[in-house]
Amino acid sequence: MRVPLSWLREYVDFDLSVDELVEAISLHSQEVDGVHRLGVLDGEVVVGEVVEFGQHPNADRLFVAKVDLGGREVQIVAGAPNPYPGARVPVVLPGSVMDDGTKLKKAKLRGLESNGMMMSERELGVSNDHGGILLLDESHEVGCPVLDYFPVGETVLELDVNPNRPDLWGMIGIARELAAILRTDFRIPEPSFETGGAPTDEYGLRVEAEDLCSRYDLRRVSNVVPGKRAPLAMRRRIFSAGMRSINAVVDATNYVMLETGQPIHAFDAEKVRGGIVVRRGRPDERITLLDGSTRDLSPEMLVISDEERGLVIAGVMGAEDAEVGEETTDVLIEVANFEGRNILKTSQKLGLRTDASGRYERGLDPNMVDYAMRRVTELLTRNPGGEAAAGTLSHYPEPVRSWEVPMRIERAELLLGVPVEEDEAAERLESLGCEVSVEGGRLSAIVPTFRRDLWREVDLIEEVGRLNGLDRVPEELPKTSLPGGLTSAQQKVRAVRRLLADIGLAEAVTYPFGPDRWLKDLGLDDGHEPPRLANPLSAQAREMRSTLLPSLLDAAARNEAFGVEGGAIFEVGRVFEASPPPEGLREAAIHFRFTGEMDRLGPEVEPNAASLMGVEEISRVGGVLAGTIRAAAWNAPERRAGFFEAKGIVERLIPGASFAPGVKPFLHPGRSAVVYVGDAVAGWVGELDPDVAEKFDLSSSPTAFELDLAFCEPDTAPRFEPFTNVPAVSRDLAVVVDNAVPAGDMLATVRALGSPVLVGARVFDVYEGSQVPEGKKSVALRFALRGEETLTDEVVNAELGRIAERLREAFGAEVRSG
Amino acid sequence: MYDPSQMARFAREAARLADASKFAEQARRAAEAAKHLDASKFAEQARRAAEAAKHLDVSKFAERARRAAEAAKHLDASKFAEQARRAAEAASRVDREQVVAEASRFTEQAQAAIRAAKNLAELERLRIEYLGRSSQLTEVKKLVRELPVEARPEVGGVANRASRDLEDAIKVRAEELAFIEREARLRAEAVDVTLPGVPYPKGSLHPSMRVVDEVVDFFVGLGYRVAEGPEVETDYYNFTALNIPPGHPARTMQDTFFLDEGLVLRTHTSPVQIRTMLSQEPPVYVVCPGRTYRRDSDPTHTPMFNQIEGLAVDRGITLSHLKGTLAAMARHVFGEDVKVRLRPSYFQFTEPSVELDVSCFVCGGSDPKCKVCKGAGWLEMLGAGMVDPAVLEEVGYDPEEYTGFAFGMGPDRMAMAKYGVADLRLFFEGDLRFLRQF
Repeated sequence: MRVPLSWLREYVDFDLSVDELVEAISLHSQEVDGVHRLGVLDGEVVVGEVVEFGQHPNADRLFVAKVDLGGREVQIVAGAPNPYPGARVPVVLPGSVMDDGTKLKKAKLRGLESNGMMMSERELGVSNDHGGILLLDESHEVGCPVLDYFPVGETVLELDVNPNRPDLWGMIGIARELAAILRTDFRIPEPSFETGGAPTDEYGLRVEAEDLCSRYDLRRVSNVVPGKRAPLAMRRRIFSAGMRSINAVVDATNYVMLETGQPIHAFDAEKVRGGIVVRRGRPDERITLLDGSTRDLSPEMLVISDEERGLVIAGVMGAEDAEVGEETTDVLIEVANFEGRNILKTSQKLGLRTDASGRYERGLDPNMVDYAMRRVTELLTRNPGGEAAAGTLSHYPEPVRSWEVPMRIERAELLLGVPVEEDEAAERLESLGCEVSVEGGRLSAIVPTFRRDLWREVDLIEEVGRLNGLDRVPEELPKTSLPGGLTSAQQKVRAVRRLLADIGLAEAVTYPFGPDRWLKDLGLDDGHEPPRLANPLSAQAREMRSTLLPSLLDAAARNEAFGVEGGAIFEVGRVFEASPPPEGLREAAIHFRFTGEMDRLGPEVEPNAASLMGVEEISRVGGVLAGTIRAAAWNAPERRAGFFEAKGIVERLIPGASFAPGVKPFLHPGRSAVVYVGDAVAGWVGELDPDVAEKFDLSSSPTAFELDLAFCEPDTAPRFEPFTNVPAVSRDLAVVVDNAVPAGDMLATVRALGSPVLVGARVFDVYEGSQVPEGKKSVALRFALRGEETLTDEVVNAELGRIAERLREAFGAEVRSG
Repeated sequence: MYDPSQMARFAREAARLADASKFAEQARRAAEAAKHLDASKFAEQARRAAEAAKHLDVSKFAERARRAAEAAKHLDASKFAEQARRAAEAASRVDREQVVAEASRFTEQAQAAIRAAKNLAELERLRIEYLGRSSQLTEVKKLVRELPVEARPEVGGVANRASRDLEDAIKVRAEELAFIEREARLRAEAVDVTLPGVPYPKGSLHPSMRVVDEVVDFFVGLGYRVAEGPEVETDYYNFTALNIPPGHPARTMQDTFFLDEGLVLRTHTSPVQIRTMLSQEPPVYVVCPGRTYRRDSDPTHTPMFNQIEGLAVDRGITLSHLKGTLAAMARHVFGEDVKVRLRPSYFQFTEPSVELDVSCFVCGGSDPKCKVCKGAGWLEMLGAGMVDPAVLEEVGYDPEEYTGFAFGMGPDRMAMAKYGVADLRLFFEGDLRFLRQF
C-alpha cells in the first residue's frame, strides 16, 4: 500500500520527520518497504502566466517564453510547445530540489537565459504525463505558490500490509492506525450531497449467489457531465498512490477505494439491460475484459451481469460492454462485498490480480459499504457533477454486527512478559475503534466490524503489546533446564560432513529435483517411477532424485564448464522413492494427508503413517571426484580422481566395509564396487561409465560414491587394546599370482590363518610387466609380526613359510626370489 | 716428520742440557748419518718441513730449512763434530731460563698455528705434528730421561706444560671449528621459506550449513533437542495443522510444490514442530533445521532454501523469553555487540507475531553506505511469535496451561549477510569457486 504523506495528513496530524514516521509505523504496526519521493522536494513553485511564447532563435526543439510570476516577468526556455500567451503554468524557481535530488539552477540554454522551469505533470508528481507543460485553469491565481492548490512534492511510504489487516488497504485505516500509535486523534470526512436524480430502482438487483456475495449495494447517479477528467488534486493523489487516472467517474471510484479500502465499480447505466444480476459464471460463458483479454468463465467464478450478459468478473475486472466512457451520462455505482477466498481463487485461476481483487481476497468488512457509497456519491456529484438517486438498492440479508471479546490483564502479562496497565490497555484498544469496559483485571472490548482479525483474547493482547511497544519487552531466558543435545544419528551426520571436509571435499547443497532425463541417463529408468512434482518450475526440475549422483554430476559439469580444473564435492541429503500406499488404501491415505486422521483405514489395518505418505525418504552421503582433486605442488605431484581415491574415502566413512565388483548401470563395469557392511548393501563406489559421463557433459569419467548414512561409522567408539613393548618385526613377501586373483582375497586368506603373531598385513606394491610372466602379477605384501617376547628368526621364518604355503594353496602363488 | 733444522736445534738444546760426552756421541752419530744423507731426499724433506713450517712462522722456518739443507749438503763430519763440541760447550753454559723461554716461544708459535687452522682436518695434522708420537715435544719428553736428575722436573714440567697448553689450544680450536663448520653446514642447508608447504587437503563446509551448525550448537547448549521431519509433507501437517486451512490466503503467500494428491514439498519446517508436539507432552524445546521449498525463482529466491525453526512450549513462557533467547542466539552467530529489536508481524501460527531485527554487525548503523544493512542499521533476521492457541489446541496441549514461542530463520540469508554474498542462487549450484571459499 502506497501512502502519500500529504494525503495522510488530511486525516491525522503528526509532527514527525519521515525517518521518525517510518520507525513509528514499522516498530508498532506494519513493515515499511520503501520511501518514494515525487515532484519538488524543496523549493518554490509558483503559478505563472505566459506573456510571450515562441521558437528559440538558436534551437529547433527549444522554445522561449516570457512568464509573469505576479508582478515579475522572467525569461524561461522550454522544451515543450504547448504553452501559449495567456496560459497559466507552474514554474519552479532556481534553487529548488527535484525528486531525483538535482538542484535547479539559473541556466543559459543556447545563448538564452532561463530563470526557472515550466513543469510537466510528471515533473510535478501529478501523473506520468511528460508530453507537455501542465496548463492550470483560471482558478489558479498568478503569482501564488502552487502549494496553495496542491502539494508540489510528495513523500510516499510503501507499506507491506500484513494479510490479516485489510483495513490498512485504505488511507483512513492507516490514519486510524497512526493515530493509535501516536495517541492522537484522526478525522474522517463526512460525506454530504444533494439527492434528486433518477431513481436507482428503475434497475433491478438480484443476487443469486448469496454464498459468494454477502452484500451488494447499488446507487444511480444520473445527469452526469460527460467526458470530464478528475480534478488535478485528485488525479495527483491517485497517481502518487500508485494508480492511473482514467476519467472523472472511474477516478472517483478509485479514489474512494484508496481512501477506504473498499473497491467500487461504476457501470454505464444506459448499457445495463434490465438490471444487475450477481451470479456464478456459466459453462461456456466468455467475457472480454477491459485489458482486451477474453476469458472463459466457470461456475466457480462470481460474475456481475445484467439480464443478458456478463459485465464484470466480480471483484477482479470489468468487461468493455458496460464500462464508463467519454459519453457516459448515467452511472450505476456498485459497492459490494464478495467472498475473499473465491475472489482469490478466481484471480489465481485467471492469473489476474488487480487493486480490487487484492483487497477483496483478504476479506472485507461489509459494513464499509455504506460509507464508501456515500463518499463516492459525494465526489461524483461534485465532479464530474451529476444527480444522485435518493435511494440505493441493497442486498444485505445478514448484517454483520460487532462482537465482544474479553481480555484478562494477567493473561496479557503472561504472554507479553511485561506488566500491562489496565487503563493503558483499554485506551489502546479504544484507539483502534473498540468500545472497552474494564472490570477487575478483565477488559471487555466490543470490536468494530472492520477489524475481523480481532476475535480472540490473544488477538487483543497482540494489539496492546505492539501499541505499548515491543521495546518494553525485556530479554530473559526460560527457567527450565532440560538435557538437550544431538542424537547419535545427528552426531554421525556431523562427523561425516566434518570428515569429508577435512580430507579435502567441498560440501555442496543441491536441488533434489531435476530433469526427466536423470534416471534415463543413468540407465535407471527401467520400471522405476520416481516421485514427480505436479507443478515444477520447469521440466528441468520435475523429477525427485532417487540418488544424489545426478545433481552432483551436474555440479561437476558446471565446474568443468567454468574452467575449474577438477575437485571433489560431497552432499549429505535425502533421496526420494515412491512408495504408493497399500492396495485399496489410496483414499484413506489421501484422507490422512489432508486431515492427519487415520480413521478410514478399516478395522483390520494397523495405522501406519509412513505407509500412507506415498514417498520414502532416505538420507545419503554422496560424492563426486573429478579431474585433479589435488593440484601439483612444487614438491608434490598432483592427485587425480581414480577408483582408489574414492574407495579410500568410503573406507574412512565405513571402516569395516567390504567391496565386491558391482554392476550399477551407470558405472564402469571393471572399476566399480558394491559396498557391503556384513551382508547388507551400504552403497556403491566407482568410476562413471564413459557414456554416462558424456551425457552429463563431462569430458572424462569422474569417480563417485554414495552410501546410506545409516551405515556410516566415521567415528567408531574406540576400544583400547593392550600392547606389549616388544617391537614388531617387519617382513616382506613378494608372490607371483594370476592377474585375476583379487589382492583383497589374498589378504583375507592370510588373516584367516589366525596367526598368533601376525599383527598387520598389507599390500605395498603390485607389479605387472617384463619381470613377471604374461598374465601374472607380482603382489608384494608386508607383514608385521609380534609376540609376547622378541621373536626369533626361526619363529618369523616359520610363520612366513606358513603364509607363503597358504597363498600357494589358495592362489597358486609362487614366492618371488630376490 | 724429520726436520733436520729442528733436529739440529733440539740437538743443540739437548746438548746444552745433557752431558757433553753423550751429546758428542750423539752429534757424532748425527754427523755420521748426515754424511750418508741423500741430498735430494733431504731437499724433499726440507720442502715438506717448509710446507709444515708455513703454519708456524713460515718465512723464518723456510729460510732456516733452506739454510740447513744448504749446510747439510756440504756437511762434513769433522766440521759437525766441531760444531757439536762447541755446542756442547755452550750448552754447559746455557741458562735454564733460556730453555723455558725457548719452550714458551715454541708453544706460542704452535698455538698460533693451531689458532690459524682452517678446518678440523688441518687441526688434526697439527695435533700429530706437535703432540704425536714423532713430534718434537715427544722427542723432548723422551730426552728428559737422559737429563741429569736435577734438571728433569723442570724440563719435564716445561714439556708437559707445553703439551697441555697445545692440547688445550687444539681443543678450543676444535670447538671453534666445529661451531664454524656447523654454521656453514646449516647455512648451506637453508631453504626458501617462502615456498609453500606440503599441501594437506583442505575441504569446506557449505556456508548455510556452517550457520545451521552454529545455530543448532547454540540451542543445544540451551537444552534444546534437534527434531527432523520429512521434506515431502502432507497437506495437513504443512498447512491445516498450522492454522492455515484449505483456501486460506496464506497458502498463496507460499507458492507450493505439489506431488501426489495431498502431498507437498514442505514450505517451511513448521510441520516438524507439529509432529514433535503430537509425539510428546510439554515441555518441548526443539530446533528444526532443514531444507524447504517454494515455487519461486529469482536472484533473491530459490525454489529450495534452508530454514531453522524452533519451538519452546512450557508453563509460563512469555514474549520476553522469545526475545532473550533469540537475542542470545544472534550474539552467538553475529558477535557479542549486536542488539536486537522486535517489530510486529503476522504469521498464521503465532499470536502475537513479531519479526526480529539484528543491529548491523558490520557498521552498527553508523555507515549510511554500508553494504550489509544498506544504511538501515538493522538487518531483518527472523520471524517469530507466541504459538497461537489454536495450534496448541490442535496438538492437544491446553493453551491455558502452556504457552510457547516459535521462530523461523533462514540460514542462507544469514550466511549471505555474515559472509557478504549477494546472490542466493550461488548457494545451490555446487560451484567450487564458491564452495571453496568457506
